[in-house]
Amino acid sequence: MAKWIKIAGGAVVLAAIGAGGWAWTSLNTSRSGVADDSVALADFTSDDAEAVARGEYVMRMGDCAACHTRGQGDFAGGYEIPTPFGTLVSSNITPDRDTGIGGMTERDFFDALRQGIGQHGFLYPAMPYTAYAKLTDGDMHDLWAYMSTVAPVSNDIDENGGMAFPYNIRLAMAGWDMLFFSNSGFEPEAGESEAWNRGKYIVDGGGHCSACHSPRNALGAEVAAAYLEGGSLGDWSAPDLTQNPHVGLGGSTAEDIAAYLRKGSDGVAVAAGPMAEAVEHSLQYLTEEDALAVGTYLVSLPASDTPAPEGADVASLPHAALDYEVNCSACHGLSGEGITGMVPAFAGNKGLLGDPTNLIHAMLKGARAPHTHEVQTAAGMPSFAWKLSDERIAELLDYVRNSWGNAAAAVPASSVAEMRASLDAREPMANPAQ
Amino acid sequence: MNRREALFSLGSMAAAGSLGSAAAAAELKGFPAQTAMSADHLPVPAKTGGGFRVLTGETEQKTVKAVFDRLIPADANGPSASEAGCLEFLDDQLAGEYGAGKALYLEGPLKPENEEAIMGAPQFLTSPRERYEAGLKALEAYAQENDGAAFHALSPDRIDEILAGLEAGEIDLGEGVNGQAFFELMLQNVREGYLADPLYGGNRGMAGWKMIGFPGARYDYRPYVDRRGEDLALAPVSLIPLD
Repeated sequence: MAKWIKIAGGAVVLAAIGAGGWAWTSLNTSRSGVADDSVALADFTSDDAEAVARGEYVMRMGDCAACHTRGQGDFAGGYEIPTPFGTLVSSNITPDRDTGIGGMTERDFFDALRQGIGQHGFLYPAMPYTAYAKLTDGDMHDLWAYMSTVAPVSNDIDENGGMAFPYNIRLAMAGWDMLFFSNSGFEPEAGESEAWNRGKYIVDGGGHCSACHSPRNALGAEVAAAYLEGGSLGDWSAPDLTQNPHVGLGGSTAEDIAAYLRKGSDGVAVAAGPMAEAVEHSLQYLTEEDALAVGTYLVSLPASDTPAPEGADVASLPHAALDYEVNCSACHGLSGEGITGMVPAFAGNKGLLGDPTNLIHAMLKGARAPHTHEVQTAAGMPSFAWKLSDERIAELLDYVRNSWGNAAAAVPASSVAEMRASLDAREPMANPAQ
Repeated sequence: MNRREALFSLGSMAAAGSLGSAAAAAELKGFPAQTAMSADHLPVPAKTGGGFRVLTGETEQKTVKAVFDRLIPADANGPSASEAGCLEFLDDQLAGEYGAGKALYLEGPLKPENEEAIMGAPQFLTSPRERYEAGLKALEAYAQENDGAAFHALSPDRIDEILAGLEAGEIDLGEGVNGQAFFELMLQNVREGYLADPLYGGNRGMAGWKMIGFPGARYDYRPYVDRRGEDLALAPVSLIPLD
């Protein structure tokens, strides 16, 4: 980590202590006043089955399980999240009184979820309270009712023990909040349709789409000016969701987007990596109406100004056409048409034309489509790390990104080599001397 | 073990509960999440650069070369077996699990007297590596005794004559070596070396595949199934791409 980031972090701590007045807006918890502050979660039971059911829907939408369920019991935490500032561990959010959130009142729960003010101090913004801040009081009450039905699991977690100084000091997050956290609920736009507003509520609130699909600055905050224009997750990338016609969702309909969210594919693209997880654990549970609302909102986003890529010359690539036919065409099609709903097409798949990270990742480690209630095949792609060199992989990616009407920048073989190292993918085998 | 005995022993194993333990084996549900290949799914390319590891003797190498190049000589259709790397292929195979007979049952038969009748072919308790060592030594001794010269120094016609005699079972290579079976082993291995994927050391330049018009390790022929009676001129492809 660069030293100046540490210094900046230290400055943030000082700023937190010095700027009491400024802190008022971001740390003011009066929004939580609608919640009960007397009964702890461990003692709370809801007799409103409908509220519990609605709360489960909010939980799915928020994808709480993505981080809080990791093989140590449902919602019992333990997921290690690598960040540029150290390793965070997701907390135990079961109603267990000692190691979970059983001691929290509903008001505490509201403070934690919507403002990142937890029972042990400030939460780290790896927890998307920045998005959950938008959740309505109604959804929050329902979620609270649902969480009371979760079985308590005793699992003691040291959430920030792996964070480097000064980021291991939770109070530093107060400064972060002052700089980057908007403590305001969702405000519908009067001029927009009900579906659009519902879509925006899901995208910005529970769905926390921008957590991955917006770029982040050096202190890990989303860059508002580049809202949903795509972000990097290290060894995966989240593509541009604006109407950009070259690398974004330009040309996609609300129906296409709804199908992608609920089934993992719009017929052209197929979710993989972390997005496949999001579809499996969260988005497939959206109602048709809600999925369409998300689509309605996303297709209204103005195009980012990412220009059309210059493209690369594929006619002169020595191996790509044969390598494609031999290794790729059986599933992805001789014309890059893919297999509808199972295997991504290359022709017209704009999400593959920007950052090549996902393609390199899939070549080196394989990938898998999501397994959903409607589409159960979960077609898998094998790794090609064992047989294709960095150069051959780069060449193949240039080929698929610049054939069938596609245009994208050339992929340097060095990018493949770097990811081969960072993913610890196998080195390619060599043929004996001929 | 005959069928009745096999069934009986299976029954007693079940009674003893040893089959019951199979139920404790890992059970796969849904679909495997990992699609990166594990080592045991992958081919093992021939080791190169270190020289021969099993056929280390000069005479051994020359004998194998003499046999292989009569079985597949160089002609207008393609290079000879040794030019196509069949010796390197054989040596690599003999140095590995094939040579050690890892896939073979090498314990003694329960009833040796009718083993061959049951199996329908000669049976061996030695590994392919040991069979080559003994066979090549016996072949050289046969040439020295009958021709007064090294096997590899014999004329092509004489070598053909000896090979034909071995194939017909008319030449006795002495104690412990079944000449006919050794001939068949060499014929099988030279074919494998000539036609296996070049990653295993033979089929150099994919000469074997070019000779028979085999397009190699391609996944999918759907683009071609309807093109009948046409020379598709498909270039052969190794599992590991050649430059």
